[in-house]
This record gives sequence, C-alpha cells and structure tokens, in this order.
Amino acid sequence: MNEEPVSDALLRQFLLGQVDDQERQRLESMFVTGGLSRERVIAAEQHLLDDFLDDSLTPADRERFLAQYGETPAEQRKLRIAKSIQDWAASGAAVTAAGAAAGSRWSRLRARFRLQPVFMIPIAAVIVLAIVFAVIALRSRWEQRNRYLAMEQELARLNTPSMLRDVPSTMPPLTLRPGAVRSAEAETELTPPANAQFVELHLVWTQKERYPSYHATIRKIDEEQRYTVRDLQLDNSNTIQFRVPEIALPDGGVTVTVVCVLPAVIFG
Amino acid sequence: MTSFDEILAWLNPDRDVAGTIYVQLRQDLTKIFTWNRCPDPDGLTDEVFDRVAKKVHEVRKTYVGDPKLYFYGVARNLIKEIPKKIKTQIPLQGAEPASDPRREAEQENAHMREDCLRLCLQKLSKEKRELIVAYYARDKQAKIDHRIEMAQRLGISVETLRVKAFRIRATLEQCLERCIDRMA
Repeated sequence: MNEEPVSDALLRQFLLGQVDDQERQRLESMFVTGGLSRERVIAAEQHLLDDFLDDSLTPADRERFLAQYGETPAEQRKLRIAKSIQDWAASGAAVTAAGAAAGSRWSRLRARFRLQPVFMIPIAAVIVLAIVFAVIALRSRWEQRNRYLAMEQELARLNTPSMLRDVPSTMPPLTLRPGAVRSAEAETELTPPANAQFVELHLVWTQKERYPSYHATIRKIDEEQRYTVRDLQLDNSNTIQFRVPEIALPDGGVTVTVVCVLPAVIFG
Repeated sequence: MTSFDEILAWLNPDRDVAGTIYVQLRQDLTKIFTWNRCPDPDGLTDEVFDRVAKKVHEVRKTYVGDPKLYFYGVARNLIKEIPKKIKTQIPLQGAEPASDPRREAEQENAHMREDCLRLCLQKLSKEKRELIVAYYARDKQAKIDHRIEMAQRLGISVETLRVKAFRIRATLEQCLERCIDRMA
C-alpha cells in the first residue's frame, strides 16, 4: 500500500486536511518511516505558506489553510511573523538592508531600550543631565575667554604711548623693584582707591643694558592665566611705565614679569 | 536495562544511530499530532513514549516490522482518544479564559516585529540573510520567476530552495518570538 507514489497535489491536499482517514494514515505512516521525505513535506508546507502570503490560494483553500495552520494563537503568531518577513523583504529598503544589516545600530539601540523599559527613564535623565552640564561648561569657558580677551584689550589700550603720555594717573604710581622668588623681603602691598580705574606701576629696570622694547606679564599668584602687554618702553629714569586695570589686581597678589626684547640681527 | 535503553535498542542496535532515530521520531510524531489538530502535540508525544516504555520489554520480542510504525500506532490511538477526553473535561470555576489572539496581535505590534526582525536578521549569516530576503522579494508572478532563477543560480531545485527558506524562516521565527516576548 505504501508503494504508491505521492503526487504534489495529493501532498497539498493532505496538508490542507482534504484526504480521507485511510489516506491520511497511509501518508503519515510513510512520513514516519521515511517513505515520504521530510524535506518534501517541508517544501510543500513552505509552498502553501508562500501561496497564502501571496494571497494566491482559492478562498476555500485559504480557509482550509487557516484551519490547519492558523487556528491557535501560536500558529497565528507564526503567520504574522512570516507575513512581516515577507513584507519587510518585499519593501525596497530590505534589499540594501540585507547586505549591510540595515541602519541597525540605531534600531538595535531603540529595540534594546524598548526591551528593558525600566532603564529608559534613568538613561534619559543621565543624557539630559550630561547635556545640561556640557552647556554650562561650554558657556563658562566661553565667558572666561571673553573676559580674557576684554582684559587684554584693556591692558593694550591703557598702555599705548598716547595713553601713558596724555592721561595722568589718579593715584601715585607704585614702584616695583625686582625680587627673587625666595626673597625674604616683604611683598609690596597696594590698595587702590575705590574710584581708581587703573593702577600705574613703575617697574624698575636694574640692568645696565637697554633694549628697544619690553614685554610685561601680569599673573595672579595661584592662577595659570596671564596677561601680556607688549612694546613697553624704558624711560630715562630706568623705569617702565605699566598700567593695569584695577580689576586685574585681585586679592591674593600678582606677579609681574618684565622681559626685554632683543633687537633683530640682520646677517649679511 | 531501563525502558529507555530498551526503546533505543529496539530502534537500532547502534546506540548513536538509535539516538538520532529517537530524536527524529519525536519530531515526526509531534508533527503528526499538529496535523491532526491535537492540543499540546509535545505532551502527546511524551505520552506515546511513556506508553511504549511500559510495554517495550514484551512488544519488542514479538513485533515484526519497523518499530517506528508501532509508535505511530500508539499515536493514532491517542488521536482517537482526544475527542473523548475533551468531552469528559469539566470546566473549572475561575479558570483563566483562553487567550484572545486579537489581544496578542495588538500587543506584538508591527513596529515591534520590524525591530525584532532587524535584530534577528543580523544574527543570521550574510548568506542566509541574503537568501531569505531574496526569496521573499518581488511580488506574485515575478516572485515565482525570481525563485526559479535563484534556484538555478544556486544549482538546486526550487523544492530544495523552499526547504532552505523554510529552515531560515524557522530560525528567524524562533528568534522573533523570543525577541517579541522580551519586548512585550
């Protein structure tokens, strides 16, 4: 009895539940003993599914198919999944996505977030906080840089030859002599009047050599930031006039450094 | 010798071969229960092996023919018993209602499926990914022609191509089911 061949049409009928009990038992026996190959049955089932997804089954076969393969929630879910695979593959995007596995990192991230919603709120909060801190830090640096530029401009303005010559200081100048870092001498103290816009320093140049120009740098003792004024001149009394805005002299003291600028040497 | 050892020995004298036959037979019987619209095909398959285990010591002495057919005979008896069992079941008060497929479908929406599909496709090898996408690409008649071309290009029959597609889809389905369950 088992020797009779199984046609594709008969196999399809069998899978759709359209054979009598005797024929069913014959085919099932063949399936168990290997007379009807599993590969063939699988291919026939896949063919049926393809036809179902393509909507190419007759209405009657469609009903039979759903009765056989779409009755339980688990089967319905399998059909939905198969349909989504087909829909996704059929969309143009899928072809390119298949090669590169799609713009998958973002969706993987999205999916991962969705997989564990409990992490969503803390992660979002951390991201928001990070953005806020980054904005604050950037804004602070930007303001600091603006302050620095404004101070340099003010120093340059106060120390132009015309300003030094034409605008008198409202308070007596403070004379500063060179000192060693480890000097035991008392530090020079300065208390500018409340209305003073700038302080005039007279930096005493103790060396014999005179140079075309000098640079003066002022730096708060415990800070790295420094302001430099270029092209200062040494007067006949061996002092360099150097005006500093009052705001540049905070509590805690400053260091003033004078550097001479050597004349350019032309060879030849 | 345990009844399980006896079942294996009955299926094949070589224990390794018997093990392979045993696994395949389990899958085949589960499939048969599924075709016959039986509830809990896996549980029924266990029941077949339990029943055979009780008699195997005696049966194998007298049974003539492929032992797999004996298992199938037991499975057929079980299939016949199922309607009777259903009739004799008494509904339990306060038992959970059967799950509503529409509700389940809503829970695992298309968006989730798409996200999971992308994830699961990445887990496939490049070759399998391209094959399954190409298999389902195109529409209607163009799809049929495309599959014939694909099979020719791969040097296999369309039937074999379907089996390949089935296997990849089955892998994807398992992955998607796990993924959707985690997301839901």
